[in-house]
Amino acid sequence: MLNNVFLKTLRDQGRSLLFWGIGLVAMAVIMAFVYPTIKNMPSVTQYLEELPASVKEMFGAGIIDYTSPVGYFSTELFSFMMPLLLLIFGIGFGVSAIAGEEEKGTLDFLLSNPVPRWLVVVEKFGVMIVSMALLAFVFWASLAICVSALGIEISLLKLAEATIGALMLALVFATFSLFLGCLKGDRGLSLGISGGLAVLTYLLNTLGSIVNWLKDYRFLSPFYHYMQPDTLKNGIDAGHMLVFLGLIVVFFVISIPVFERRDIAV
Amino acid sequence: MNANDAIVHTSKLTKFYGKRLGIEEVDLDVKRGEVFGYLGPNGAGKTTTIRTLLDFIHPTGGSATVFGLDTRRNSIEIHRHVGYLQGELKLYGNLTGKDLLRYLGNLRGGIDWNYVKKLASRLDCELSRKISTLSHGNKQKLGLVQAFMHKPEFLVLDEPTQGLDPLMQQEFYRLITEARNEGQTVFLSSHILPEVEKVCDRIGIIRQGRLITVETIEVLKSHAVRQLEIHFAGAIPKDRFIGISGVRDVVVENDMLRCNVIGSLDTLVKVAAGFEVVNILSHEPSLEEIFMTYYNEDKNNVK
Ligand SMILES: Nc1ncnc2c1ncn2[C@@H]1O[C@H](COP(=O)(O)OP(=O)(O)O)[C@@H](O)[C@H]1O
Ligand SMILES: [Mg+2]
Repeated sequence: MLNNVFLKTLRDQGRSLLFWGIGLVAMAVIMAFVYPTIKNMPSVTQYLEELPASVKEMFGAGIIDYTSPVGYFSTELFSFMMPLLLLIFGIGFGVSAIAGEEEKGTLDFLLSNPVPRWLVVVEKFGVMIVSMALLAFVFWASLAICVSALGIEISLLKLAEATIGALMLALVFATFSLFLGCLKGDRGLSLGISGGLAVLTYLLNTLGSIVNWLKDYRFLSPFYHYMQPDTLKNGIDAGHMLVFLGLIVVFFVISIPVFERRDIAV
Repeated sequence: MNANDAIVHTSKLTKFYGKRLGIEEVDLDVKRGEVFGYLGPNGAGKTTTIRTLLDFIHPTGGSATVFGLDTRRNSIEIHRHVGYLQGELKLYGNLTGKDLLRYLGNLRGGIDWNYVKKLASRLDCELSRKISTLSHGNKQKLGLVQAFMHKPEFLVLDEPTQGLDPLMQQEFYRLITEARNEGQTVFLSSHILPEVEKVCDRIGIIRQGRLITVETIEVLKSHAVRQLEIHFAGAIPKDRFIGISGVRDVVVENDMLRCNVIGSLDTLVKVAAGFEVVNILSHEPSLEEIFMTYYNEDKNNVK
């Protein structure tokens, strides 16, 4: 596991991946097991129906309907909790990848080997994709097992598609935080800006569904491209997916020259 | 690469951190096979020079080559043949010493593990414990092992003896001497004169970002002011000690003579031998005193 920067970085993620994996599995299992109960509680459904439209809007892409599995899982898992967890993991990793190592003071040490800077970025980006995809897969697999075991009627493929949507959304912010680390080796700065941007763009999308003058700018928010297609119901939408892909590629590609050009802090 | 050409060559190498001066117009040559001491007080610009040579930071002026290769364009090729010890060493705390060395060996495409083990045992290195649990000195030893372990053509060591106990320092000096015998070139920075004196062939003195002088140890010392105190059995005549070349600031108090000497002590000692000498106390020039000598000369030359 110490053959190259990729494997060493992945190895360092081991424990963190284990705990995040446990968290995501627990979330999937609990949400699945609670569903049959909630579905049969008339008071919950009634309570939700009475919520103001704007509040519903903030939770999901429209109507909250806990009587259908798609409605329940959209609202309870995919609209907030699941992308949030992936996002936190992703930003955390993106921040630590370059800026974290730099602040620890080991970047000099690493780069004194015949390893080009661009390769370090590529390998760390690779670990980011692999570990986030792994978490997403574990989440999907445990959810799939649970819904099958409980006989909940929902397409496993659609669950996978929605999970991929959340993964892509999280990767946008994670790659952005990696880029900020490449631009300036300051963990606080990278964390603050990418976390802040996640919150702001999240608000832009949800408020944009209520506030008229914000409506035209919703497309600027990655969350808009995540929520809009209602993936659990309709499957992956190529257009919105391309937006994610484009952002990820751009942030990744500009990371390299920016990092090659600057001074490494001691 | 030609066998006689310079390992390091810089011309007007300059680094400003924004407005803050790091180094300015440094012209430096390190010859193949020599042990070069880079001497200067804290903040002089030693680390800045080294990190520029290794392309961790980019010069704001001038240029540098290592092995004749441009530091900006060929840094990877340069790193391949350099062993580097960081000034303020930071290692991966979550790895054991052994894992760290294996990792670095792999990044270099494999190394002779028997040699690594030999080095580690010479320096009495703790390899099986997690690095985060090691003392500063033990980390420093690991840092030394990783710098030497691939038998690099060129060793760049930034204040390498920090935190080493005296015994390990001796072992370190032996390593340096062996490296020279093997034909390796060493660039060693320090702020302690006796340290570079022991092992270096030539010394460059840097102060406030400027390279003041590059000299062999002998020349450097012959320029240096040495404080001397000679105790005699009885009172001595002051006038016999005035006007000896290189001898300054003569003070005589009964049976004791105090003066400053530049260069050879020969004449002074011969004059003193005409009387009964009880004791001679020599105060070795400190780094700061040598700096002052050169610094003042420097200023005088400018005038
Ligand atoms: N990253 C930096 N930003 C601003 N100034 C710096 C930085 N690194 C070093 N300096 C300044 O450059 C000068 C030389 O520092 P350095 O090369 O570390 O000296 P030395 O290694 O000889 O102690 C010092 O005045 C120091 O304050
Ligand atoms: Mg230093």
